[in-house]
Amino acid sequence: MNIWDRLARLDRRWIYLLVALAVIFPLIVPTTFKIHITPEARQLYDAVEALPDSSVVMLTFDYYPSTLAETEPMSIAALHHLFRKDCRVVTVTTIPLGGPSIAERVTRAVAAEHGKVYGVDYVNLGFKYGYVAVLKGMGSSIEAIYPTDNSSVPLSELPMMRSIRNYGDISFIYIVSDNAIVDYWISIVNAEYATPIGIGVTAVSAPKYYAFISSGQVTGLLGGMKGAAEYERLVSKEAMAFKGMAMQSLVHLLIIALVIAGNIGFFAGRRAKKRTAA
Amino acid sequence: MRRVAPVIIAFLSGFVMVISFCFSPDKTVLGRIEPKLLSWVTIVGGFTLLLGVVSITRVNWQGVRRKKEGWGYKLLTLVSVYIMAIPAMLPSSWSPLFGDAEGSIYDWLFTYIDSPMMGTMFAMLAFYIASAAYRAFRARNPEATLLLTAAVLVMLWRIPMGEAFLRLFGENVPGFINTYLMGGVNAAVQRGIVIGAALGAASMSLRIMLGIERTYMGKG
Repeated sequence: MNIWDRLARLDRRWIYLLVALAVIFPLIVPTTFKIHITPEARQLYDAVEALPDSSVVMLTFDYYPSTLAETEPMSIAALHHLFRKDCRVVTVTTIPLGGPSIAERVTRAVAAEHGKVYGVDYVNLGFKYGYVAVLKGMGSSIEAIYPTDNSSVPLSELPMMRSIRNYGDISFIYIVSDNAIVDYWISIVNAEYATPIGIGVTAVSAPKYYAFISSGQVTGLLGGMKGAAEYERLVSKEAMAFKGMAMQSLVHLLIIALVIAGNIGFFAGRRAKKRTAA
Repeated sequence: MRRVAPVIIAFLSGFVMVISFCFSPDKTVLGRIEPKLLSWVTIVGGFTLLLGVVSITRVNWQGVRRKKEGWGYKLLTLVSVYIMAIPAMLPSSWSPLFGDAEGSIYDWLFTYIDSPMMGTMFAMLAFYIASAAYRAFRARNPEATLLLTAAVLVMLWRIPMGEAFLRLFGENVPGFINTYLMGGVNAAVQRGIVIGAALGAASMSLRIMLGIERTYMGKG
């Protein structure tokens, strides 16, 4: 067996070991990189920055715990930005498993840093079944869809919600999602009610939404951990995503190296076979 | 009647929703029907969740009782469903362990079991992707070579080290990838897919409303 055959038949456990090392190494030797801001992330930041102070912004937690590494830093950075601008934040989720808990935990933690008060500066509406009905219904009346908040407190008892009836009272919708629910926010809420929408999605979903950026239906896009790191840098709160870029960098480079090595093995092996046949 | 009634309900529901879209909810009766029907969707949806729990219980319990292959997993599924659901449904006024607030049984199970398990499953993808990329991502023909080149460029562009590397070839190279590859070629293809899927959804809705498509009733 020559070297090319060996390369082609490399035991996958070696690859797993290399990936594990690429993830662990930056944890042992912390490294930081310069993050360049993409125009899409800048657009989202500028859109929030342009909102008048004390505007109402709806922030969604449309993600499962499996993608927390990519999405949670976006939510945290967004909340820092919104609370710094004294925006009033309404959080909702279309994900039953974890969505309300994540929203509660993350929002309370960031709000405490900025001295914000529940019910006055922010409200967590939680989850309600049937996302299409929920998204459409909130266009007529938020209270009809969510009579109570996530802790079963009637909306009428929350001072902030007394002046927020429907999308007409919401200046911007900031969606953080790991699934196709973003399509419905765009096609129902943006298309019907013309509420501006900015999105933060996982890296795997991001390419899909470039089409909505160019059509003007989406104002700004954060894609994956890199997008989250960009926003962290924009709001000067470098945290989880910023640190995660070292690991992501090494794993990406490793995969590229593996693809190149695999192709070298493939072509060299094919040439060797041709020579043998001749 | 069992076949005709669902078709009539589907037709009326769809028809009313389409028509009411065109009328103002503040001024017309038809316009006001839409939010009412949407409330019904949420209510009916709540019952479908209940139906799901009944169904998962029935199917798994039968497997456990008859000791079918993998009955242990079925038992674990049942225990997991009820151990998460029951304490979350009980009022938190009885005990701080009930409900879904911080410190409750549900919250503990979610934070320390469910969330790490889901994260682990997702993280394992990195290992499989690395292995699959090594074995399957081959420049066998021009199309595959094009795909491979685009993938490598995007992967480099999405990491700071790769971006720095690309800037060695020109300060604007990452910007070109963003503008022409992601905002150009990619956006054009994605737009085609989105429009195609929307037309497909519209035609499927029409088929359901007209009773041509009946698979939702469990029959072709």
